[in-house]
Amino acid sequence: MKISYFALLRTATNKTQEEWTRPAATVRDLLRDLVAEYGPAFARWIWKDDELSGFAIVLVDGHDIRSRQGLDTPLTPDSEVFIFPPLAGG
Amino acid sequence: MHGWMGRILRVDLTSGKIATEALNPRLARDYIGARGLGTRIMYDEVDPKVDPLSPENKLIFVAGPMTGTFAPSTGRFDVVTKGPLTGTIAASNSGGAWGPELKYAGYDVLILEGRSPKPVYLWIDNDKVAIRDAAHLWGKDVMETTEQLNAETAGDAKVACIGPAGEHMALIASIMNDMQRAAGRSGVGAVMGSKNLKAVAVRGSNAVTVADKAAFLAAVTRASTMIKEHPVGGTGLRLYGTDVLVNILNSVGGLPTGNFQDGCFATADKVGGEALAATQLQRPRGCFACIISCGRGTKVTNPKYKGEGEGPEYETAWGFGPDCRIDDLDAVTKANYLCNEYGLDTISMASTVACAMELYERGIITLKDTEGLELPFGNADAMVEAVRLTGRGEGFGRMLALGSYRMASHYGHPELSMTVKKQEMPAYDPRAVQGIGLNYATTNRGGCHVRGYTISPEILGVPVKVDKDSIDGKPELVALFQNLTAAIDSSGSCLFTTFGIGAPEYAELMTALTGVPYTADGFVAAGERIFNLERLWNLKAGLSAKDDTLPPRMLEEPIRSGPSKGAVSRLPEMLPLYYGVRGWDAEGVPTKEKLATLELA
Repeated sequence: MKISYFALLRTATNKTQEEWTRPAATVRDLLRDLVAEYGPAFARWIWKDDELSGFAIVLVDGHDIRSRQGLDTPLTPDSEVFIFPPLAGG
Repeated sequence: MHGWMGRILRVDLTSGKIATEALNPRLARDYIGARGLGTRIMYDEVDPKVDPLSPENKLIFVAGPMTGTFAPSTGRFDVVTKGPLTGTIAASNSGGAWGPELKYAGYDVLILEGRSPKPVYLWIDNDKVAIRDAAHLWGKDVMETTEQLNAETAGDAKVACIGPAGEHMALIASIMNDMQRAAGRSGVGAVMGSKNLKAVAVRGSNAVTVADKAAFLAAVTRASTMIKEHPVGGTGLRLYGTDVLVNILNSVGGLPTGNFQDGCFATADKVGGEALAATQLQRPRGCFACIISCGRGTKVTNPKYKGEGEGPEYETAWGFGPDCRIDDLDAVTKANYLCNEYGLDTISMASTVACAMELYERGIITLKDTEGLELPFGNADAMVEAVRLTGRGEGFGRMLALGSYRMASHYGHPELSMTVKKQEMPAYDPRAVQGIGLNYATTNRGGCHVRGYTISPEILGVPVKVDKDSIDGKPELVALFQNLTAAIDSSGSCLFTTFGIGAPEYAELMTALTGVPYTADGFVAAGERIFNLERLWNLKAGLSAKDDTLPPRMLEEPIRSGPSKGAVSRLPEMLPLYYGVRGWDAEGVPTKEKLATLELA
């Protein structure tokens, strides 16, 4: 599946996007794997106590997981996952 | 009075008469300041049917009670007038350092009346106020004007001025202050130009007094901590600026592309905040007393678009970028610099160029109409040249200077102008985000995002996430955001403090500062009062429910591609509910009961 990173997460992972080949059945599984891969510099913006923290945004195929099944939103090998730290603008 | 200075400076540019008067404490209490107070003065003194570019219109610069204090990120002021672009009441908000200086000179409000017989500027030096000849400044851009005025008034004077665009009365002209900050929308710069007023320079040595110093200090400390600790206000804005929004809007399919023909743009990342930080960003910039510093100090070294200044912000990068199908960040930033130099609203300028591009691609306008300027979507050189021509009032720029609605109407296709009440919609597609569409349709100055920024809950999830595609609860949400925003705008506070604090904290700050007991509910109620007063003004100016709408494209043409493909705006379903929530009748007119509750009857 393809994962895209934005803002501070690009700094934390040193990537804008990647092809992620390790299987993950849900968004929760995927984020646990990513946190393990990229460590605290990544986790501090999006992960707290095994939950999505604060105002982090995760999209699966363009849809916010909070409008789907949250962290239990299912994934397939073709899923496109976009991960944003908390954002603001105007 | 505390917080407020208690004085109004009134200048008649026709006769040259300068006078001061006391600020009515009851009006200050009920309308707070800035946007609200300026609107009340306009309502009491100016016929809403006035020609905006006539001497009978007034131009009011007004600060808030918090402006000039050390409350976090509260240095703002409004320019209030009848907007030439929209025909509505206009209040354009700006940051920088000019607003605090007006307070330090001893005034809450500057009212400019009439029309000077020749170009002048106003020099306010505490109690010494003079109207001075500006013939040597007329024609100069914003930077040159500011530098020259600092040389001939005082090095530490703060300058608000128009550039050549305001002098030509472009309907999309802005008033710039501190060189890079803008009172941008609704053509307020044209009103200043119509009065032959080039600039207002101000310097002061008074202080804003505080009713309860200990309580104010505690409230400021608390508010500052909450803002700094908020993940959004505390870090993200400083590192990436508002332009960081490009990618999230694009990723959900709500980034208006090609004059709102579509909702996503393949190469949007090239003009987003990450790209800006990696290439052009020199340092963050902040306004007076700001602890967030969302401003971008930038530089373009590419010789073709060389320049230096502040910006682009999100709306600017979106407008000159994806809305024009351009992904060259250097060109986008150059267009931004030109707008600051000539004094043009970046949102209306960009969206007007995008509209011209669609007219051009459809063959509705030709090279003859554009006087040789090739304007297909994606032509970055032509986009930059279009901005330059508009700033100078030359060639096709004279048509662009009218804004997209009058331009598109001239060529027989008003439906291709992406405007509400003739003001260009900003950078969120109403088909992809239902609540912001309702805000665009109902906000009192036309297409505007900032006065009812439901993007925060609908996309960012702040303070909580709501479903962007649902219409449930959106009328209530939009009305609440509009009311709270009107109060915040009127206090002198920057809206980005809302990433951190809410009505209870504003009430606490206002009470400690002014000595007037504001509650959270009372603060929001003042905002509701201000919003309804703006509505009353607009109704008297001749607007009606039929102006509470969106372009046909938003209602009838589904988004073509991306995650929001197929969506249209459900405004017709939301609007009657919104009128009900607001306590207005079916024609969108505030009822007598509502006005009585708000003490507006």
